[in-house]
Amino acid sequence: MASSDEKPGPTPVATGDKPTPPGEPTTLSSKILDKGAGMMQSLKPVKEMKQHVCTFALYAHDLSRQIETHHYVGRLNQDVLQCAVYDSDKRKANLIGVEYIISPKLYETLPEEEQKLWHSHAYEIKSGLWVNPGVPQMLEKPELENMACTYGKFWCTWQVDRGDRLPLGAPALMFSPQPVNRGRVRPDLVQRRDEKYKISTEELRESRVDIQEPEIHPNADYWVKHNKGFAVDVKPADMKRLAPFP
Amino acid sequence: MNKMATSHVNVPGEPTETGTALLETATGTIQGFQPINNIHQHLCAFHFYAHDMTRQVEAHHFCGHLNEDVRQCLIYDSPNKDARLIGIEYIVVESLFLTLPDDEKPLWHSHEFEVKGGYLFMPGVPGIVERQDLKQVCKTYGKVIHFWQVDRGDPLPLGIPQIMMALTRPGQLDENIAKDVEKRFGVSFEEQREQRKDLSGPDHGIHPLANAAGRGLKTELREVDIPPATSMPRVFV
Repeated sequence: MASSDEKPGPTPVATGDKPTPPGEPTTLSSKILDKGAGMMQSLKPVKEMKQHVCTFALYAHDLSRQIETHHYVGRLNQDVLQCAVYDSDKRKANLIGVEYIISPKLYETLPEEEQKLWHSHAYEIKSGLWVNPGVPQMLEKPELENMACTYGKFWCTWQVDRGDRLPLGAPALMFSPQPVNRGRVRPDLVQRRDEKYKISTEELRESRVDIQEPEIHPNADYWVKHNKGFAVDVKPADMKRLAPFP
Repeated sequence: MNKMATSHVNVPGEPTETGTALLETATGTIQGFQPINNIHQHLCAFHFYAHDMTRQVEAHHFCGHLNEDVRQCLIYDSPNKDARLIGIEYIVVESLFLTLPDDEKPLWHSHEFEVKGGYLFMPGVPGIVERQDLKQVCKTYGKVIHFWQVDRGDPLPLGIPQIMMALTRPGQLDENIAKDVEKRFGVSFEEQREQRKDLSGPDHGIHPLANAAGRGLKTELREVDIPPATSMPRVFV
């Protein structure tokens, strides 16, 4: 019915030449309603997102498809983070997925089959690809050493880079950049990002040379050793029911 | 067995260290959070797994408009500070839903019943204001994907994403879950039903392919062959 590694069927929606997504501009009355609700509701979980990270990710079924991501990171405790991932840092950015980040200690407790779905962050951070826009280096440095040891699991729900104007298809697993040929991020993507933030990934890499290289668990970054990626399929199935449906 | 809509398992891990918390207070102040600031609304509703209606989840949606016709929501398992981010929902108006390919439509669900039934509500917002927006939501379709199966007690987001469905008729929502939410949020679904009698669903009726095409859906993981990691990719000029 739908697979993360298949192009969606042709529709007016799937052409890339118009701005995503289709639809009328937000009306004034909607804005007023939103503002009103916003004043009456506390939105606490959302206020817990206290870090913006700009980095890159690769599709687990096709490493040549690479995207710049904007992670808005919330912390559950010292070992677990949860991120809302967008395709830009603008107000009308598309919500393209969710990433979870855990410490090595927790990663080790996962069953082997589960571990295969996670990726390491060491190279991404040491190479300078992962940045906290607007944060002075001296501030972010101490925590980067911790982050460099973590593992992430990233599901992408909207494949904007293939021109989808709405979130189509099955969710896709994502992997992180890795220090092998197929895992390196295209220079033009990095350059565009650097120009936007007036930073240099190269310089960041040099400044992070002293970050300790963690030992990466053999089951992480599965594709590197096995030359196999992952796709997700959505298939019709019988629903276990307790009442008639639909 | 009394199935709780959310498990109260603690997330494994140590409490946040002071240094970490301080840094995040700083980054929280210095950096920009525009996409997050676009989130203006909290909606509470119920989802169940597209392959298993008996597994039901209380879903707290934090939503923002991309435009008048499209919303995107972060789904948490509670409205509290320590809530777990468990999924995502996208909401589109009927006209956009109708442009979706036929094999995409089943992944989406209609909102008419849960809105008219009183089960979908905006905590803290007076009914009269709430209904202004619910009038629109009633006619929309949603696509929900969950990543963390808190209802079965998973301490971490294990496994693969799950497509979720929403209530489409009376008798589906577990009574204990309903009563628990009504009590905690001080709402009465029955009262809301009374107030929402004049709301109407999609103009063209609920599409037969929506709501898992009336059957059910499951997700599966598949390994795919990819070029060796050490081989050279094509050069992009």
